[in-house]
Amino acid sequence: MIPMENNCLLACVFVPVIGAFALPLIGRVSELARNLTALALVTVSLVTSLFLAPAAIAGHVISVSYSLPLGFNFILTADALAVFMAAASSLVGAIIVLYSFGYISHYNNRNEYYLMVTLFLGSMMGLVYSGNLIFMYLFWEITAIASWRLIGFFREKEYVLKADKAFLVTVFGALVMLLGFIYIYQVTGSFDLSAIKAAFKNNAIPDIAVALILIGILSKSATLPFHTWLPDAGVAPSPVTALLHAAVLVKIGVYVFARLFIATFTLSQIWHTVVPVIAGVSALVAAGAALVETDMKRIIAYSTVSQIGFILLGFAVSNEVGVVGALLYILMHGLAKGGLFLCAGIVEQNTKTKDITKMGGLIATMPVTAFSFLACALSVMGVPPFGGFFSKYLVFSGAATSGSIMITSIFLFGAFLTLIYLFRIFNMIFLGDPQKPPAKEGSGVMVLSVAMLAVLSIAGGILIKYPSDFVQTAVKQMMGI
Amino acid sequence: MTANVIFYPIIVPLVTALALLVTPKKMKWGKEIVAIAGTALNLLLAIALFKSNIYFSAPWSGFGIDFSLKLYQFSSFIILAAAGFAFLITLYSTASLFNKDYAKPFYVYLALSLLMVNGAVLADNLVLMLFFWEGLLVTLFGMITIGNKHAFKTATKAFIIVGISDLFMMVGIALVAYLGGTITISQINLTTAGLGGLAFIFLIIGAISKAGSMPFHSWIPDAAIDAPLPFMAILPASLEKLLGIYFLARISLDMFELNVHSWASTTLMVVGAITILLAVMMALVQKDYKRLLSYHAISQVGYMILGIGTLVPVGIVGGLFHMINHAMYKSCLFLTGGSVEKQAGTTDLAKLGGIAKSMPVTFICFIIAAASISGVPPFNGFFSKELVYDGALERGMIFYVAAILGSFLTAASFLKLGHAAFLGKKQGNAEVKEAPMRMLIPMITIASLCVLFGLWNALPLNNLIQPILGKRLEGHNFSGLPTNALLVIATVVVLALALLNHIYGVKKTGKALKATDHIRYAPLLGHLYDMAEKRFFDPYNIGLDIVNFFAKIAAWFDRAIDWVYNILVVNAANLVTGLIKRLHTGNYGSYIIWSLASAAVILIFLIRAI
Repeated sequence: MIPMENNCLLACVFVPVIGAFALPLIGRVSELARNLTALALVTVSLVTSLFLAPAAIAGHVISVSYSLPLGFNFILTADALAVFMAAASSLVGAIIVLYSFGYISHYNNRNEYYLMVTLFLGSMMGLVYSGNLIFMYLFWEITAIASWRLIGFFREKEYVLKADKAFLVTVFGALVMLLGFIYIYQVTGSFDLSAIKAAFKNNAIPDIAVALILIGILSKSATLPFHTWLPDAGVAPSPVTALLHAAVLVKIGVYVFARLFIATFTLSQIWHTVVPVIAGVSALVAAGAALVETDMKRIIAYSTVSQIGFILLGFAVSNEVGVVGALLYILMHGLAKGGLFLCAGIVEQNTKTKDITKMGGLIATMPVTAFSFLACALSVMGVPPFGGFFSKYLVFSGAATSGSIMITSIFLFGAFLTLIYLFRIFNMIFLGDPQKPPAKEGSGVMVLSVAMLAVLSIAGGILIKYPSDFVQTAVKQMMGI
Repeated sequence: MTANVIFYPIIVPLVTALALLVTPKKMKWGKEIVAIAGTALNLLLAIALFKSNIYFSAPWSGFGIDFSLKLYQFSSFIILAAAGFAFLITLYSTASLFNKDYAKPFYVYLALSLLMVNGAVLADNLVLMLFFWEGLLVTLFGMITIGNKHAFKTATKAFIIVGISDLFMMVGIALVAYLGGTITISQINLTTAGLGGLAFIFLIIGAISKAGSMPFHSWIPDAAIDAPLPFMAILPASLEKLLGIYFLARISLDMFELNVHSWASTTLMVVGAITILLAVMMALVQKDYKRLLSYHAISQVGYMILGIGTLVPVGIVGGLFHMINHAMYKSCLFLTGGSVEKQAGTTDLAKLGGIAKSMPVTFICFIIAAASISGVPPFNGFFSKELVYDGALERGMIFYVAAILGSFLTAASFLKLGHAAFLGKKQGNAEVKEAPMRMLIPMITIASLCVLFGLWNALPLNNLIQPILGKRLEGHNFSGLPTNALLVIATVVVLALALLNHIYGVKKTGKALKATDHIRYAPLLGHLYDMAEKRFFDPYNIGLDIVNFFAKIAAWFDRAIDWVYNILVVNAANLVTGLIKRLHTGNYGSYIIWSLASAAVILIFLIRAI
C-alpha cells in the first residue's frame, strides 16, 4: 500500500464533499473567491484521479477501508474502471463549473448553486470509488438530493413539480435497487463487493436481484420506461442540465451496471438479450421524440436518453469490444453532450427562448457557439475525426460480435435518427433566416468552455490511442481476462 | 525512399489547409498562391510515389484497429488521379471564385477533402479507411453550405444521405471483424454466404453511395444548383467517384470471393443498369446546364457498377477504365458549365444560346467531353463503354440493352445541351467573352487527355488499369481497337439514331431546348415525369416521410408513458391517501384497536422468526 495514493483517493471524494459546505460561507465574503474555490474543489477530484491513473493502468488496485459493524465497511477502491469514470466525470464537471461563472452570475441563490454542484460531483466520486453496496447507495441518494435542488433552482411552481418528479422517479428506482442489494446481502452476508464477487464466482446472481437492481439503474440512467423525468429536468439552469444529462447523473446508472454486472457478478444468459432490447426500444422511442419536440433542451435531453441506449447496449452484450466501446462512449458522449447543452445555454440566455421554431441564422452572430455545437453534434453522430466515431464503431462491433442482427439493426436505425434530429436542431437554431434581431455571442468564459469541449471532442478522436489503451486495461481487469 | 514518405499524401494537404487558415485576408492572391502551391506539391508527390510499394503499420485503437497504410499500384493510381484533378480545379477556381467571399473556405475544404481521399485510399485497415472516408462528410457539408444562403438544406440532405450509408458501412465493417476476425483489408477473405452477404451489402451501400449511384443520388442535382460550381467538378464528378469505385472494386474483387453466378454479381448489375437508365431519363428533360450534367454524373456511375458487377475481366477493366474516363470528361463538362455561368451569367438553357462564336475554346472542350461521354469514337469514353458492353453482353442481353439504351439517351441529351447552350440564336444583348486563361488551361488539359486516352488507350490500360487486376487478367489485353466489330456497329447505329432523334425533335418544336419534348410528354411517361419533377420518387423524401411517421408514433408512445407518471401515478396516490385519510377519524377507540392489532402482528412475526 502506498499511503500517498490512499490519501489521493480519500481527497478525491472528501475534499469536494466536505468543502462544498464551506462555499456558502465563502460566498458571503467574496463571489470570486467562492467561484474559484468551487472550481478548485472539483479540480482536486480531477487531479487526484489523474494521479491515480498510472497505478491503475499498471494494474494496481488501490484500496482504503475502515471496518464498521454488520458488514457496513467503508471501502474505497480505485481500479482502472473507477479511475476512468472519475476522471471523465470530473473533467466535464470542471468545465461546467467554469462555464457557470458566466451563466449563473445574474441569478439568485448562487451560494446554494455552487454548494449543490460541488456536493453532487463529490458524491459522484464517492459512488464511483465505493467498494461497498451500502455506501454506493448512500452517495447515489446524495446525488439525487442535490439534483432535486438544482432542477428546481428557479423556484417556479411548475419547475419545482418537475424537480419533484425527477426526485421521486429516481428515488423510487433507488429504493427498489436497495431491495436488490439486501437480497444479495441475504445470500452472501456482505455488502463488500470483493466478498460478493468471491461468493458469486461460480454461479450466476439470482435473476430477481438483477431485476431489482436493473430498475434502479434504468431510472437513474433515464432509460425507457423511467426516462420522462429527464426531458422535464430541462427547466434547470443550463450548466445543471449539462451536468445532469451529459457528464454525470445519467452515467451513474450505466456505471453501476458495469461495476456490478460485469466486474462483480456474472449475469445469466437471458439478460444479454433482455437489456439490449430495452436499450434498443429506449433509443428508438427517445430519438423519435427528439424529432418531434421543439424545445431545444428537451431535444438534447431525448438525445441523451437515446445515446444511453447505445452505452447500455455495449455493456449488455458483455464482450470485450462492446464494453470498451461503451466506456469510450461514456467519455465521448459526456464531452460532446456537455458541449451541446452548454451551447444551448448560451443560445437560451441570449435569445431568451428555448423554442427552436423561433430561432434561425444565429451562426452569423454566434460563430464560436455554432461551430462548437456542430463539432459536438458530429461527435454524437459518430462522424470522424471526432471521438464519437470510435466509440460508436466499437459498440456496433460488440453488437455484431454478439451475433444478433436484430439488435444491431435496431441500433443502426437509431443511429440514422441521431443524424436527422441533430441536423434538424442545428439547422433550425443556427442556419436559415434570422427570426429576431440577432443575439449576441455568449460571455468569454462561456464561449471558452464550449470551445474547450469541442476541441476535446476532436482530440478524443485523433488521440484515440490514449483513452483506448486505458479503457482496454480497465476492461481486461473487469472481465478478468 | 523511407517508409515515412507514405504519410506525405496526408500531411501535404493538411499543411496546405492549415496554411490557408493562417493566410492573412489582406494579402492579395495569398490564398490562391497557397492553394495552388499545396495542390501542385501534392501532384508532384503523387507522381513521385506512382507505382511504388510501401507498407506502414502501427497499433492504434486495439481490436485490430491499426494505423496501417499501403501504397501499391491501385492506390498510387487513385492518388495520382485525385492529385491531378485537385490541382487543375484549384487553378480553375482561382479565376472562377475570384472575388467570392467563400473562396478561402472552399480551398480549405478542398485541401481537407484531398487529405481524406488520399488517406482513405492508402488505408489498409477498414476502420482507418472509414475514418477518412466518413471524414469527407464534413467537407462535403462545408463545401455545399457555402454556396448560397439556402444551400444548407441541400448540404443537410447530402450529409444525411451519405451519412446513413456510411453508418451502414460501419456496421458492415463490424460484421467483417466478427466474421473474418480481421479488418486489415489485404487479409480479408470472405464469402457472401449467410451473414457475409449482409456484410457485403452494407459495405457496397457505402461504396456506391459515395460514388453517387441510385438510390443515394438525389442530393447531387440539388447541389448542382446550390453549391459553388468547382465543387461539382471536384467532389461528385471526380474525387468521390474515384473513391467509391475504388472501394467497390476492392470489396468485390479482393475482400469477398464472388463468382459470376452469385446473387451479388447480379445485384450489382441490376443496380448499375437501373441507375444508368433512370438517371439519364431525368437528365434528358433538364433545362439547366449544371443540373443536366449532374444527372449524368449519376447515370455514368451505373456503367462502372455494371462493368465491375459483371465480374468478367473485360467488364471489370471496362468499369475501371470508365471510372477514370468519366472523372475526366465529367469534370471538364462541369468546368465548361462554370465558364459559361461566369461569362454569360446564367446556366438556364432557356436564356443561353449562340455563344459558341464568342467562347470557341470552351465550346471545343465541351464538344470533346460531350463526345467522350456519349461514347463517340475515338474518344476515351467510347473505348471504356465498348468494354463494358462486351462484359454486359457476356452476362445477359438485357444488361447490354440497358447500357446501349442509356448511351442513346446520353447522346440525345448532349445534343440538346450543346445545341441549346452554344448554337442557335443569341439571347439577350450582353457581350459574352471567352473565359480567362486560368479557367481555360484546366479544361484544355483535361480535354486533351480525353483525346489521348482514346487514341492511345494502351497508355492508360497497360499502365494504370490492367496491372491492378494482376492474375485475374492473365492472357488478356484490352488495349487497342475493340475486338467485337458487331458491337461497334451497333454503337454507331445508336449514335446515328440519337442524332436523327434530335433533328426530329428540333424540327417538331422549332427549338433545341425542346428537342426531347416528344419523350418528356409521351403518353404515360409524361405522367411519370410530372411525378418525378414533384419529387415524388426522391428516396430522401420518402425516407424522411417514413422517419417522421415513425417519430410521431414514438413521441405518442413517449407521451403515453409520461401520462402514467403525471396523471395515473398522481391520481392513484391521491386515491390511496384519500382512503387512508378517511380512516383517521379522530376516534380514540379505533386508534387503540389498530395499535393492538399491529403489535400482535409484530409479535407473531417475531415468535415465528425464533
